[in-house]
Amino acid sequence: MIDARLQLAYAGLHPDRTRGLLAVLAPDRALRKVVTGSRSDRVSAAASVDAATRRRELAELGIRFVTSDSGEYPSQLAALPDAPDGLFVRGAIPVGPGVAVVGTRRCTSYGRRLAADYGAAIARAGWPLVSGLARGIDGAAHLGTVQARGIGVAVLGCGLDIAYPPEHEGLAGRLLDLGGAVISEYPPATPPEGWRFPPRNRIISGLAAAVVVVEANTTGGALITAATALDQGTPVFAVPGDVGREASRGCNLLIRDGAHPVLEPADLVAELELVLGPVAAGSGPASAAEPAADIVPDEGVGLDSLAERMDIPTGEALAAVSRWEADGLVERIGDTVYPVRNR
Amino acid sequence: MFAAVTSVVLVGVEPRPVRVEAQITGGPSNIVIVGLPDAAVREARERVRAAIRSAGHSLPSRRVVVNLSPADVPKSGAAYDLPIALAILAAAGIVAPAATGVVALGELALDGEVRHARGGFAAALVARDAGLPCLLPPAAAAEAVTLPDVRLRAVESLAAAAAVALGQSEGSPVSPVDAATEAHFDLADVRGQATARRALEVAAAGGHHLLMSGAPGAGKTMLARTMPGILPPLTAEAGHEVALVWAAAGRPRAESTTAPFRSPHHSATLAALVGGGSGIPIPGEASLAHRGVLFLDELGEFPPHLLDALRQPVEDGAVTVVRKGASARFPTSLQLVAATNPCPCGYAGDRLVACRCTPRTVDRYRRRLSGPLLDRFDMRIRLARVAPGELTGPPGEATAEVRARVCAARKRQDARGGLNRELHRAELDAFGWDDDAIGLLVDAVGSMALTARGWDRVRRVAVTIADLDESDVVTARHVGEALAYRAAP
Repeated sequence: MIDARLQLAYAGLHPDRTRGLLAVLAPDRALRKVVTGSRSDRVSAAASVDAATRRRELAELGIRFVTSDSGEYPSQLAALPDAPDGLFVRGAIPVGPGVAVVGTRRCTSYGRRLAADYGAAIARAGWPLVSGLARGIDGAAHLGTVQARGIGVAVLGCGLDIAYPPEHEGLAGRLLDLGGAVISEYPPATPPEGWRFPPRNRIISGLAAAVVVVEANTTGGALITAATALDQGTPVFAVPGDVGREASRGCNLLIRDGAHPVLEPADLVAELELVLGPVAAGSGPASAAEPAADIVPDEGVGLDSLAERMDIPTGEALAAVSRWEADGLVERIGDTVYPVRNR
Repeated sequence: MFAAVTSVVLVGVEPRPVRVEAQITGGPSNIVIVGLPDAAVREARERVRAAIRSAGHSLPSRRVVVNLSPADVPKSGAAYDLPIALAILAAAGIVAPAATGVVALGELALDGEVRHARGGFAAALVARDAGLPCLLPPAAAAEAVTLPDVRLRAVESLAAAAAVALGQSEGSPVSPVDAATEAHFDLADVRGQATARRALEVAAAGGHHLLMSGAPGAGKTMLARTMPGILPPLTAEAGHEVALVWAAAGRPRAESTTAPFRSPHHSATLAALVGGGSGIPIPGEASLAHRGVLFLDELGEFPPHLLDALRQPVEDGAVTVVRKGASARFPTSLQLVAATNPCPCGYAGDRLVACRCTPRTVDRYRRRLSGPLLDRFDMRIRLARVAPGELTGPPGEATAEVRARVCAARKRQDARGGLNRELHRAELDAFGWDDDAIGLLVDAVGSMALTARGWDRVRRVAVTIADLDESDVVTARHVGEALAYRAAP
């Protein structure tokens, strides 16, 4: 039975199609139907490779196949009507639900900064961070988690052996090093195709007790994740932004439609403690007794305005920023200085 | 039956005297020119013959041999018409032999008019060294008007040239070049951009190469154009070097004390940028920017091979251009100022505007910038978009005040014997470094990913900042500011 389910997972069908088959047929019958009855030679060929060969391939790649009836399979996800039959997993899926931080790939540096802050705050609270490892907000949230040495789960829309997006290959490795997981319902070698991404969003929300949308356009994956979360009865939080700003339009829309607005990571943590249990002990935020903390606001400040704010010559202000940067108190992105709070 | 007039040939930008000899011998009526002339020089015999006739003289029906010595240096152009004509007139006994005691340069028209020719400044230098009067077409004479100790004589016709050579006339008055002066912006016109203003001051003070990146409309080009005004005035020696290069390129230069500012478009050819051309090489934009600023706007649009070709001239302060039969060495001691968008759409890393580029396009864009040339920039700054309030704000500090501080910092460097841009590791080590300054540098290696090359780069800039501060010890404050000028492009 497990063999048939593994082979079926390897067929690379659309998740809806796999689920439709398994709803009416036993796995081995469903497999036979796919092997003999598929209009695509590629699909039938992929499904007909025997399970032993597939297991050997998976072992070489360091990937495990976790079926929905396994004890390791997240129970919240398993409870969904459209849960994937099996997941390909690298690392260990954390026990208990996490918190998802998602958003647009085309984010601003402000949004990137926020995502990292939320990623770090969630990690410090001891909850696993779930996101999609995509460019933009997703990647920034994962990065925040990694920097806070927390546990993260990345849900991919392609095979686990495909480095996509390529620039996040290292990030995925660090997630695994810190005890997180990288998972996908698609078999290894599945290329990142556009139609594979929307279905994976239900897994992201299915692994989370709450979904935070940091920056989102009116179209795109982040809003799909929010929608699947609402379908699943998972609370959705959104970070508000300027009304006219493209990258915040999706978040503002969510808030209008009833999402919880969050203004800072502490808000979110306080709210979620009720749902998820108390914050892990001994990991409070870094002490704020630093000159940098008083001067550099959370939303960042341009180098030019900083000198004005400090009321000292530009050269001296630049020197001060470098000193703070060397001490790891602030970070410079472009012409903007941001405080570092997630040490 | 023999006479010789002095003229000039440019070897690279170095002026060398040329002896234009004429001898009249028996034989069929003819003019023969020898001594590596090019086609334009050979054609001089027709222009010279016609010009002499138009001046009211007739050549003897004999064979005239003209030799341009040294014979192994290629000569080009029509500038030898005037010395050839003078030498022939003297050799034929039509004018007194005293007429040959001059340095002359100029093209002749068939009616005897003297026309403009390249190299007026070089001819004046040769004349000064030889202690002879210098006969030039009026426009060429204007190039050299700032050169002291030269008896400049502007002549408008062959007849006038003969009269001036004999001391019977002073020639036409020489007026300075009226070429359009390069437009400079005053720093007072720049609103906001405090960091960039300070960076320009530091770059000018130490001669550091500066890269500015920022969104379109941030004011990168305008800031760069304020640079010549901030730089100290050229010394007499530097002014002569510049004038020579410009003369070699055939471009009269109006001012002699303002540092040149060149801004080649990214569609420029290799030869236009570093020098070259067919036949005898002429200086390119990099040499025209000698002792001044070479501004590369839209650095990312320059083809990589052009940027690679600039690296060595920028590093060595000179470029040797080799063409078939001739090679030339042009000075390129220049300060590089470049501007670029951080990505094709210009908003990568912006705090509030989302970048519309895919990471791959941003990556490709930056890769074009990266590499050896990018390494030469001691200072890299990121410009913010100007905030709306700043445009209506008070004007900034004027160029003149900044220049005064820059001049003071340069004076300290001159006393040490060179620009801070050129300081090497051992020289840097020899400076007085505050303990805190070293501590900050060491910390930066860990937390700001400072590399070994970056280490020296930051120290060079820190020394300049200390110079601006008139401090003999480089402190943590100087190092800190220098560290701030290493933004990602």
